[in-house]
Amino acid sequence: MKNIVVVSILISFVLLGIIFSYVGDIIGDDLVNILSMLAAIIILGLTVGVGLKYVNQMKNDKASGQLADENWDGIGEFKNELPVGWAVSFLSTIVWSIWYWFSGYPLWAYSQIGEYNEEVKAYNKKFEEKHASISDDELKAMGQSVFLVNCAPCHGVGADGMDGKAANLTKQFDSASVKYVIKNGSNNGLIAEGVMMPDRNGLININTGNAISDEEINVVSDYVANGFVGSKGAEVFAGVCSACHGTDGTGMPMVAPNIKNFSVDLVTAVLQHGKTGAIGKMPSFKTEDMRLTATQQKAVATYITKLKEEQENG
Amino acid sequence: MFHWLEERPFFFAVGVFTVVSFAGLIEILPNFAEASRPTVGTKPYSTLELAGRHVYIADSCNACHSQLIRPFKSETDRYGMYSLSGEYAYDRPFLWGSKRAGPDLHRVGAYRTTDWHENHMWEPVSVVPGSIMPAYKHMFSNQADIETAYAEAVTVNKVFNVPYNTNITMRDGSTANVKLPATYDEAKADVLAEAKIIASGMKNQDVKDAVERGEIPQIVALIAYLNSLK
Repeated sequence: MKNIVVVSILISFVLLGIIFSYVGDIIGDDLVNILSMLAAIIILGLTVGVGLKYVNQMKNDKASGQLADENWDGIGEFKNELPVGWAVSFLSTIVWSIWYWFSGYPLWAYSQIGEYNEEVKAYNKKFEEKHASISDDELKAMGQSVFLVNCAPCHGVGADGMDGKAANLTKQFDSASVKYVIKNGSNNGLIAEGVMMPDRNGLININTGNAISDEEINVVSDYVANGFVGSKGAEVFAGVCSACHGTDGTGMPMVAPNIKNFSVDLVTAVLQHGKTGAIGKMPSFKTEDMRLTATQQKAVATYITKLKEEQENG
Repeated sequence: MFHWLEERPFFFAVGVFTVVSFAGLIEILPNFAEASRPTVGTKPYSTLELAGRHVYIADSCNACHSQLIRPFKSETDRYGMYSLSGEYAYDRPFLWGSKRAGPDLHRVGAYRTTDWHENHMWEPVSVVPGSIMPAYKHMFSNQADIETAYAEAVTVNKVFNVPYNTNITMRDGSTANVKLPATYDEAKADVLAEAKIIASGMKNQDVKDAVERGEIPQIVALIAYLNSLK
């Protein structure tokens, strides 16, 4: 027995010595390291102590007590009382499992989607609070970064439409686009759902009483695309377009959009609904499809509006 | 009480296995069954789209592009709603990919257009400055393999009961019906009609002429497939 104790203590010290030789020089700096080392010593001591206790028991204990009925090839088992600690833990796991079945797992389980939802909710709340009263400059800066990620792939980094791959946003229209809309009408839902511009057959020149002619289309398209310059175009515009778009082209609420300048309303409507025009189809960036939030749409609209203004003012 | 079991190791093992696997059975299986159903708004690929999928696989697009949007805000901001397992119900094989040298494409149909893809596949840097994606000009002249695509559609329809010619409810409440004609000739006519719609949104005259002649260049099939990813 003595030998075992001596050898155990010897092994313990050797183990501690090995650990110390590896980490000894960093232990002194930090309380946590000292505590860890202390814990290691205690755990080692307990392990050796418990081990010794059982070895001792095996050597010296005499069989006593009542044997159970079971007998396996001559090996019997004593009828022992359940240890209290064990019984308590066993019963509490049963209680816990009832909670886990009916509440823990179904209601409180970790969910990746749940974490995502909370993250988004918290972010959106922060975003709304931070930008509750946002200045035009901030909107423009935000709009630019949104533009570079979402719009630049088609409209180009400079918003020039990359040689006609998409609309040139530094000016509002080219005359081909205006022509396309006059010929085909527009049902892009830009002002309100169901409000649509008729195609050329429905566009009557009130001065002549006839539907708009090819020549008139060319004239008025150039007029609108070139910033409302020219008397011939102005005449056609007054006769055909002004009834809805206003005499100066700035539009009417719930009737027709502003076609003289980019307005924030118009751009956000395009972002929300997408658009089909002379160049092709622009996809929508709906809030509902998780593309752009209302604030982001407004920011992009502000950025584009300012871009055109800056372009015009040199 | 358990003598009977204790004397019979085989049945004891079966009992242990049953008890241990019980948690797995009731926790994992219902989720699994639910998630493997097609999500509302998921419809089978048309023959042209399948041909485009074959082009996508043949040119190893999935080596650089993933089709799996993870539920992180940074990803949903850029790519849209996170992916659900039911959305891959008709993907055989799935094209999740494992690496993003390029962006995720799982919902590329929602924010890119036919003519954008056309420009991009012809010369990627023309629309994305600094792009490292190679050009895929051969897709504008090579022909798509419609016969194989039709064979695949018929096979998955027969073997896996993929719902062709069936009304499917879409997310917005409308119904879609993906046609799968009984003969290859009818299918070819359908594919051509679908290809003409795609080609009408394209600018490349060679491709437009080819479709007019009744040919299906790979690019048309690929764009049809990319547009279907929403």
